[in-house]
Amino acid sequence: MEQEVNSILLAAHELKAPLAVLRQLALSFEFEKSAENEHIRSEMISVSERAIKQVNDLTKVARLEDGLFEMEPVSVRAVCDDVTHELSYLFRYNKRDLYIKYKNKSRLVTANRELLHSVVYNFLLNAMHYSGKDTRSELIVNEKRGKVRIDIRDYGPSLPNDVWREIKRGWVEKPTSIAMRPGSSGLGLYIASKFSRYMNANVGAIRHRDGTSFFVELPISTQARLF
Amino acid sequence: MIFVIDDDEIMAECISRAVSPEKTRIFGNAIDAMSAIDEELPKLIFLDILLDGPDGFTFLNELASYSDTAKIPIIIVSSIDISGKDLSSYGVVKIVNKEKMTPAEIKSYVNEFTK
Repeated sequence: MEQEVNSILLAAHELKAPLAVLRQLALSFEFEKSAENEHIRSEMISVSERAIKQVNDLTKVARLEDGLFEMEPVSVRAVCDDVTHELSYLFRYNKRDLYIKYKNKSRLVTANRELLHSVVYNFLLNAMHYSGKDTRSELIVNEKRGKVRIDIRDYGPSLPNDVWREIKRGWVEKPTSIAMRPGSSGLGLYIASKFSRYMNANVGAIRHRDGTSFFVELPISTQARLF
Repeated sequence: MIFVIDDDEIMAECISRAVSPEKTRIFGNAIDAMSAIDEELPKLIFLDILLDGPDGFTFLNELASYSDTAKIPIIIVSSIDISGKDLSSYGVVKIVNKEKMTPAEIKSYVNEFTK
């Protein structure tokens, strides 16, 4: 296990440098000015930034056992706002709509901000990926029985039954085991699942006839409240 | 002159291009940079931490030990997370994340720290 973790860390570190260089090259490259070139440039930056984020998440997965990520009161709304802002370009670029609704009272939850950001980011990216044209992804934050729940829904292909059962059991243990819907290695969900488990959050999926919802549920922090 | 010390040649060139190639000198390791400093004191240094040979921290120590080089402002450009560390006693004026920095930010740091 330790060897596996070290390999992940090594691979992630090796990948980081060239990805950072690619991003920097895209940023500094002087295209002949045109809308199409600007589009290509933005896409190059966006793709490299997403890859860097995924590599960084992998290094965090490898470091989870060290217990370095402190649990603290975190504003779910602030995290969701950050993520949706970060991904807004991608939604626009892919001509997808994102519907956001906060039904809770800006409560603070007990979580690690960095890890929660990655969970929401990966779920939302997954939802965007699977939402068909002219459909939307939804991010809805609810509060129930001392917990805040973040639901992220897509209107794509329904989740295969075996994958749903695996998630229902609790956790996604390997990225390859959920090579689920077409075009996915399941890496994002694997990362989200690992981070959720670290934060003692409930994580799960709901199958709809016209898509899938992933959710994460976190306890409201008793240390501090905004309202 | 502004020094860029990074063992990743392409990354170093990106920084140099953002500043202005005529105003920068690129070094792939700390030893070459230290030799060059003996001849010319740079106005600013962009320093990577993970270098071939002596690393960025060794280089910082070396600079801090001489009265003239201790005054050179240094911007650390790195992928490793040291953002919480206070390295101001080593002349570090900024710590920049390689994965997030932009050419515009690099330019603005040069304007800010070479006045």
